Amino acid sequence: MSFRGEARLWIAQRASAAVLALCVSVHLVTIVYAVRSGLSAAEILERTRGSAAWFGFYSLFVLAVTVHAPIGLRSVLGEWAGWRGRSRDFALLLFAALLAWLGMRAVLGVFA
Amino acid sequence: MATTLKVSLKVSVWRGGKDGAFQVFEVPREASQTILDVVTHIQRALDPTLAYRFACRVGMCGSCAMMVNGVPRWTCRTHVDKVVAGDALEIGPLRNLPVIRDLVTDMREFFDKWARAKGEFRGGATREDDFARVRPDSPPRVQADAGIECIGCGVCYAACDVVTWNPDYLGPAALNRAWTLINDVRGKENLERLRAVAGDAGCHACHSHVSCTERCPKHLSPTAAIAGLKREVAKAVLHGDL
Repeated sequence: MSFRGEARLWIAQRASAAVLALCVSVHLVTIVYAVRSGLSAAEILERTRGSAAWFGFYSLFVLAVTVHAPIGLRSVLGEWAGWRGRSRDFALLLFAALLAWLGMRAVLGVFA
Repeated sequence: MATTLKVSLKVSVWRGGKDGAFQVFEVPREASQTILDVVTHIQRALDPTLAYRFACRVGMCGSCAMMVNGVPRWTCRTHVDKVVAGDALEIGPLRNLPVIRDLVTDMREFFDKWARAKGEFRGGATREDDFARVRPDSPPRVQADAGIECIGCGVCYAACDVVTWNPDYLGPAALNRAWTLINDVRGKENLERLRAVAGDAGCHACHSHVSCTERCPKHLSPTAAIAGLKREVAKAVLHGDL
């Protein structure tokens, strides 16, 4: 990959990390709140379904993960497994697609 | 003080090339003894075939760096008291560099990377131009000052895990050098320099482990320099200059 591409990946990872810092904090607080008040799964779904705001928030969360995780894994594969070049980037694109699919499947299940 | 010292040190010293082994020597313990004193004693009194490098003995030349008990250090300014484990010392050639023999490494790749990072100054002025006036408190000068005292000892390079994992990585010293030049307002070719230091072999490979900064005997922060390079590359890419 060109130095320009590498630099763009770096910017994307930093930007997605900033989004994740916010998303993970909100996510954890939400979990603690939901668990502490003893809500059942049905009661949680009753509150979450149809909420456009939460749907948007968790979609952004999934997008940030989809961008962030493969870029980090790219370095791990290069440095620890010696896997570089186009095949690595292609495999990571598939991994990103998998993350997006799994993530959005969950978001649609809870918030749609 | 001298009465509390152990009488001798058990010093394991790397002998041979890549496939060599440690050889144990017994070295008399002295007050205010440095690691370089220990190595010199072995070479002068016990085994004259021991190969090692040194020159200034006062922390200026950067030639005597070695691994001491697993940590890269400048040996002329490292006192035995500070690093000895009981009475044992293990002294080896710098990590991440090919071993020539005993404690001597091949530094070519280390310095070739300085050249690859465009580590040479290229001024834009001619002899007809007036002297450049650079205020000592101007931000670029302050940034350059922070990294300019590098003595090229290779300690940061030996301390860096990314160099181990990615042998093309330019390393902390070369990138620190590039950062001081980017902040030299008299210089030119900064976009070419940013191109040279960007990417998987350059500043973007750094994970900010901070080992270089932790071990630098001159207390420089190559980590901060590399972070500066990442910022400048990002700005240049976003502005479409690169």
